[in-house]
Amino acid sequence: MNALAFDHGGYHRGGARARPPFRMTAAPAAADGFADMIGAIAARADRAAFATLFSHFAPRVKSYMLRLGAEPLQAEELAQETLLTVWRKAAAFDRTKAAPSTWIFTIARNLRIDAARRERRGEPVEDPSDEPDAEPGPDAVLAAAQSEGRVRHALLKLPPEQAEVVRLSFFSDKPHAEIAAALHLPLGTVKSRLRLAMGRLRDLLGDLA
Amino acid sequence: MTQRHPSEEMILDLARGALERGRALVLRAHLGACTACHAQLRLAEAVGGALVDELAPADLAADALERALAAIDRPPPPPVSRAAPPPGWIRVPADVLEAAERRRRWAAPGVWVAPISRDRRTGARSYLLGIGPGIAVPTHTHKGTELVCVLKGAFEDRGEVYRPGDFAESDESVEHQPRVTRDGDCVCLVAADSALVPRSLTAHLFQPFVRI
Repeated sequence: MNALAFDHGGYHRGGARARPPFRMTAAPAAADGFADMIGAIAARADRAAFATLFSHFAPRVKSYMLRLGAEPLQAEELAQETLLTVWRKAAAFDRTKAAPSTWIFTIARNLRIDAARRERRGEPVEDPSDEPDAEPGPDAVLAAAQSEGRVRHALLKLPPEQAEVVRLSFFSDKPHAEIAAALHLPLGTVKSRLRLAMGRLRDLLGDLA
Repeated sequence: MTQRHPSEEMILDLARGALERGRALVLRAHLGACTACHAQLRLAEAVGGALVDELAPADLAADALERALAAIDRPPPPPVSRAAPPPGWIRVPADVLEAAERRRRWAAPGVWVAPISRDRRTGARSYLLGIGPGIAVPTHTHKGTELVCVLKGAFEDRGEVYRPGDFAESDESVEHQPRVTRDGDCVCLVAADSALVPRSLTAHLFQPFVRI
């Protein structure tokens, strides 16, 4: 595990969080606002909406890439590509299925996977975001239940040791065994914390199955 | 042991982008057909989104927004034309269709294989396996685990029938001889940690041809 990745960018827990002031009162509304902005890009190529989305998400996507161990230049590039993909695929965003942060996370994750593949194999990779995921029939999944605000709230309810492994898990593309080693914990402990955490999140966010 | 749905941990690995490519393809094929597993992926991705959103923003290059605004003005690359899914298949990722179209070869009478991915470092591989009606795969076991998703048709294995979209994860303890049902051919997407381990003379004869 790249130890640096854990220190880089930093994440905040609980009360220690220092968000820009406009987010402190308006998280759910902001998420709705972001969905509207993606809609405005799809409907009328709204550049101002894009600039706002860029200012919010690009620095966070870069932060995410740094935590995954990307070099700063590559992290910047991947953040650029992610937001460019948001612009180009805005019409594919469906606010009834995912929160803006969820959608943008999946774009960033896929671009990172492809970049890693290109590095390893030197092979060109098709743009994964071209391809909407196959979906099983109408699933009643409640983008509402998984709105960013509610998910964030649910994360705050996790015991700290569970929240920690969930964070480390998402901010790493390494096997859980390596995460366990970095935490000096047995693998079984890490896995059971993850299982408990995901179970609790599922309870808190409604029965999504 | 055979599991009929991917573990929660495997779905989490898919959500966080840590699943080996072949396994990710099999999972995506299954998730396209399984509401319950798909909901788990959705939840995990929502968690990923919320976590990224609460990261402390990194400093961007001074001209980052300017570059982005210039980039969106450039025309997008032409859309990639995609192979149409063969009739009767469940929906699968494009990589899979491409393999079916370009790399399919007959491996034995009634059996074709199309390799999709291979990790030279770990030996993990994925491939499509097409088998004619009523044909059995010679008895074998696995080193590590093997994930299968049925794309078309059905096969029977140790008393259970697997149909399109169904998932099977077999570990080393499983020694089996899956048999395609008589009513039609069967296409499976397979991801294995390593080559299968033949357990019968036929399997020994079969393996060098199939190379799986």
